[in-house]
Amino acid sequence: MTRSFPALLTVLLLALAPTLQAGAPPAPPKGLAPKGSCAVCGMHVPNFPNWAAVVTFQDGGQAWFDGPKDLFTYLQDLKRYAPKRRAQDIATIQVKNYYTLKHIDARKAFFVLGSDVMGPMGKELVPFATEPQAQDFLKDHRGQKILPFQEITQATIKGLE
Amino acid sequence: MRPSLQRHRSVLDFALSSLLRRKGRNLALTAVYTLVVFVLASLVFFVQALKHEAGELLEHAPDMVVQRMVAGRHDPMPASQVDAIREIRGVEEAEARLWGYYYDPVYGGNLTVMASPDPTLLPGSARIGRGVARNMRVAEGDMVPLRGYDGLPLLFTIQQVLAEESELVASDLVLLTPADVRTLFHLPEGLATDLAVKAGNPRELATIAAKIVEKFPDARPILKAEMLRTYEAAFDWRGGLMVVVLSSAILSFIIFAWDKATGLSAEERKEIGILKSIGWESGDVLLLKFWEGAVVSLAAFLGGVLLAYGHVFFFSATLFEHALKGWSVLFPRFRLIPALDAYQLTVLFFLTVLPYTAATLVPCWRAAMADPDSAMRS
Repeated sequence: MTRSFPALLTVLLLALAPTLQAGAPPAPPKGLAPKGSCAVCGMHVPNFPNWAAVVTFQDGGQAWFDGPKDLFTYLQDLKRYAPKRRAQDIATIQVKNYYTLKHIDARKAFFVLGSDVMGPMGKELVPFATEPQAQDFLKDHRGQKILPFQEITQATIKGLE
Repeated sequence: MRPSLQRHRSVLDFALSSLLRRKGRNLALTAVYTLVVFVLASLVFFVQALKHEAGELLEHAPDMVVQRMVAGRHDPMPASQVDAIREIRGVEEAEARLWGYYYDPVYGGNLTVMASPDPTLLPGSARIGRGVARNMRVAEGDMVPLRGYDGLPLLFTIQQVLAEESELVASDLVLLTPADVRTLFHLPEGLATDLAVKAGNPRELATIAAKIVEKFPDARPILKAEMLRTYEAAFDWRGGLMVVVLSSAILSFIIFAWDKATGLSAEERKEIGILKSIGWESGDVLLLKFWEGAVVSLAAFLGGVLLAYGHVFFFSATLFEHALKGWSVLFPRFRLIPALDAYQLTVLFFLTVLPYTAATLVPCWRAAMADPDSAMRS
C-alpha cells in the first residue's frame, strides 16, 4: 500500500478539477406558488412546479397535486381523500398549461393521453387551454387521444397506471 | 477536565514541543505543504467561481439562439423568420438580434457591438462597458470614433458607462441603436445576426428546435443547456490543463513529504524506544505521531486555503489569470464573487490532510511495535 500511495494521490488530484460541477438552478414557478404535499400520493408538490394542479374550495382551503392524474383521482373519489368536502364546495380547479406553464381553468382544459411526455408519476394527462394546442401536442408527441375535462372517467385514469 | 481529554492535551503538548525541537525541518515541510494546498485550492476556487459566474451570465441568456449557416459558417439571417418561429407552438417570445464584433486597431481590443432596443438610447450615442471605457480612456459625455465598414470614422457620444456589477458580462460591450449598428457594419435592413427564442416550457425546446430546422433547413438552433455545458467543459478543461501542468510540482511535493514523513530517522526510532521503555504504550506513541502529523497538515491546510481565498477573491487569481481566463484582449477587471461550498473544501481536505496523517502513522506503528531495547540499541 505504501508504494502505490503517491501514484494514487496523483490520480485523485488529476481527477479533482472535473468533479466540481455547478448544478443549474431550477426554473422559478409561474403563477400560483405550489406548496405542501400532494393530497393523493403525498409527493412534495414544489418539486414539480411545471405540473402542479390545485383545487380551491369556497372557504379558501386548497388541495395541491403533483400532476393532473392525481387531481382526477382526487376529484373522482372525494369521499376517500377529503371526507369533509363535497363537490359543491369546489370553487376553482386549476392545472398548468403544458405550453405556457401557467395555471388555467381545468374545467375548460383539454387533456392529451398517451403521449411520450412523462409527468412526475409516469404517464400523465397533459393539459392545454385550447383544442388546437392539444392537437399540435398530440402530433408532436405521439399522443393518442384528446379529452375535455368532463370526459375523463375513472377508467381513463386506470388506463394510465 | 475529563481524563481522556487531559491525556490528549498532554500528548498534544508533547507533540508540539517535539515539533519545535526539529524546527527547521518541520517549518520547511509546512511551508512546502502550504504552498501545494494553496495552489490546489486556488485552482479549485477559481474554476468554481468562474463556473458560477458563467452560470449567472447564462441565466439571462435566451433559451435558444437560432443562427443561419451558409457554407458551414454563421451568416446574417432574414429578420422575417422571427414571425414564422413565433408561430411555432410552445414559443413564448422570439426576437431578432443585431450584433457583431469590432476590432479596435488603436487600442487593440475586441469589442462586442450590440443593438439595443431601448428607446432612451439616442441615435449617435452609445452605452459602453467598463472595460471599453478603461481601454479607450473615456468617460460619459466623451466622443468615441468607430471605423465603419468603408473605413470612414463614425462618432458616438457616450451616454452611459454600464454598471460595475455586469463587468464580466458587459466589459467589452458597446450598445448602439439598431440603425447605427446597421450603418457601422453595413448590414442591410431586414437582416439580423441571430434570433433569440424563449419557450414557455423549457421541455419543449428540443421539439421547437426540430421544427425550426424543418422550416428553415439552413438554421442552426443552439440551446442554452448546450451553451452551459460548453462553458463548463471549457472551464473544466482549463482547470484540468493547469492540474497537469502543476502535477510535476505536486508530485515532487508528494515525494518530499513522503520521504520526510515516513522515513523515521535513527534518532526518532531511539526516541520511540525511550518513550516505550519509560512506560508509554504503543497507543500513546501512535497518538503522539498522529498529533504531530495533524498539527503540520492542519496548519498547512488552513494556511493554504486562506491564502488561496485571498489570492482568488481579493487579487482575482493573478498567478494563473492568463492560463485560465483569457477570452479576449480586453480583460474584464472583475472581482470574483466568493462561491465556496463545503464539498470542495472536503475534497481538498481529504486529498491533502488525510493522506499525510495516514502516511506518518504507518512507519510509527511499525517502530512502536518494535522492542524498545533493540530500538534504543540500533
